[in-house]
Amino acid sequence: MSKFYMIYSSLVAGGLFYSGLTGWSYGSYDEVKGVPKSVRDNPGAYRSHYAGSARYFGGK
Amino acid sequence: MNPGVRKIVPKPKALNCPNCGSAIELRAMGAATTVVCSYCSSTLDAANPQLVILQKWQSQMTVQPLIPLGSRGNLFGAVWEAIGFQQRGITVDGTDYFWREYVLFNPFKGFRYLSEYENHWSFVTPLPSIPVPGVNNYNRPTMTLDGVVYNHFQSAQATTSFVIGEFPWQVRVGEVVGTADYVLPPRMLSAETTVNEVNWSRGEYVEGAAIWAAFQLPNAAPAANGVYSSQPAPVENRPGRPWKLFLIFAALLMGMMIFFSARARQETVLDQTYTYQPVGAGEKSFVTPPFELRGDSANLQVDVTGAELQNEWAFISMALINEQTGEAFDFGRQISFYSGTDGGESWTEDNRSDSATLPSIPGGRYYLRIEPESESNYVKPTPIKYNVKLVRDVPFYLRYFVGLLLLLVPLVFMGRKGANFEALRWTESDYGVPPAAAVWKSDNSSGDDDDE
Repeated sequence: MSKFYMIYSSLVAGGLFYSGLTGWSYGSYDEVKGVPKSVRDNPGAYRSHYAGSARYFGGK
Repeated sequence: MNPGVRKIVPKPKALNCPNCGSAIELRAMGAATTVVCSYCSSTLDAANPQLVILQKWQSQMTVQPLIPLGSRGNLFGAVWEAIGFQQRGITVDGTDYFWREYVLFNPFKGFRYLSEYENHWSFVTPLPSIPVPGVNNYNRPTMTLDGVVYNHFQSAQATTSFVIGEFPWQVRVGEVVGTADYVLPPRMLSAETTVNEVNWSRGEYVEGAAIWAAFQLPNAAPAANGVYSSQPAPVENRPGRPWKLFLIFAALLMGMMIFFSARARQETVLDQTYTYQPVGAGEKSFVTPPFELRGDSANLQVDVTGAELQNEWAFISMALINEQTGEAFDFGRQISFYSGTDGGESWTEDNRSDSATLPSIPGGRYYLRIEPESESNYVKPTPIKYNVKLVRDVPFYLRYFVGLLLLLVPLVFMGRKGANFEALRWTESDYGVPPAAAVWKSDNSSGDDDDE
């Protein structure tokens, strides 16, 4: 059991070290490839994945 | 087997049973008190040269010893010869439970015993001293021997139902002794009480495979059934090496957290306040001036704050776009704030700021495309001021706490497995539950009583 735990813990620690090196953190985004350079001059040419969807109207 | 020891084991002396005339081999001549004929089961006085019959018992071989009498095996540093065998039983709640005992003999070390129950084995050594009685924290009887405390497990009246071979006492079928077992796995103290005496012994749990190997028995040892009273837990549920490893790795994680926190640049690459005008024609989206994300892959924290939001929401769609590669990281944050009074009590809801951490963003030259929208689109044309702040390479502490939890998972699993094992062990006891569970149960039941 100790051997298993040693290996398991090493993997956990190794994974955390690698995530620290690469800047991995909890969070998400949609990755889009090949955005044209024209967006720089014409922002409306790009459509966000999140824009235009219904939002929460809060308050009592 | 040690050939040097084999030479000194005396050869059996051949005699005849005075009851049935069958040949009887005395293996522990001069040491055994009784010998039981293997053919008619008559109990004979081994101390008497004429083998006087102590008990006539016309029976067939109803129980077959797993270790044939006369077998020799090396156990605990000595060669032992199996010279006697008996089956004993107790009755609990109308159910009979039987176990078997083998008498082992070595001319230099004397007698030892092997006890077998449901294919669980114990090597039993008579004790020259008497353990000290006591009571543990759970108000259960204990016995202390050499400073080690054994917990009471079970007391019963055991009856001998079958005997064969030689014994160092005057054994008889139907013999009744009081038994009391105290356990501290893998060891167990046992007391056998008769009218005249109390005999104490200490048993040590032995795997069946070790018995089979020692006595060179054919085939494999039968698999053990259930959990035996002194069986050591296969998974350690007490603090031990895994817990020490946990502490070492927890310290390592703390070291990594300090190292990466100190190494994090926390560089602000954009900190800008914008005003969103919901009303009016034209494109609402815009882009920021380009900025540099230095270094290799690192995270990027995005903070969005609308300090003046009041009873409205705003959603900021954002795309972090790499100028060189055209790669975009698309995400959004919503901020909102509502307040008012209800029944004379003031209330607030939601938060004027929100943040996101984009993981593993490669270095390069980027700009941010921002597209705000708000409730004002539909209801009121109030401008909304909001701030967007980008910080490159921030410490991310959550991963280390997740890491700690991951390190704990196997230990919790082990502890749970160990607890289940203990529960199974104590099911067979006079108490039904392990000592700690007994306290818990007791506490609960007293609480119930109080409620009533």
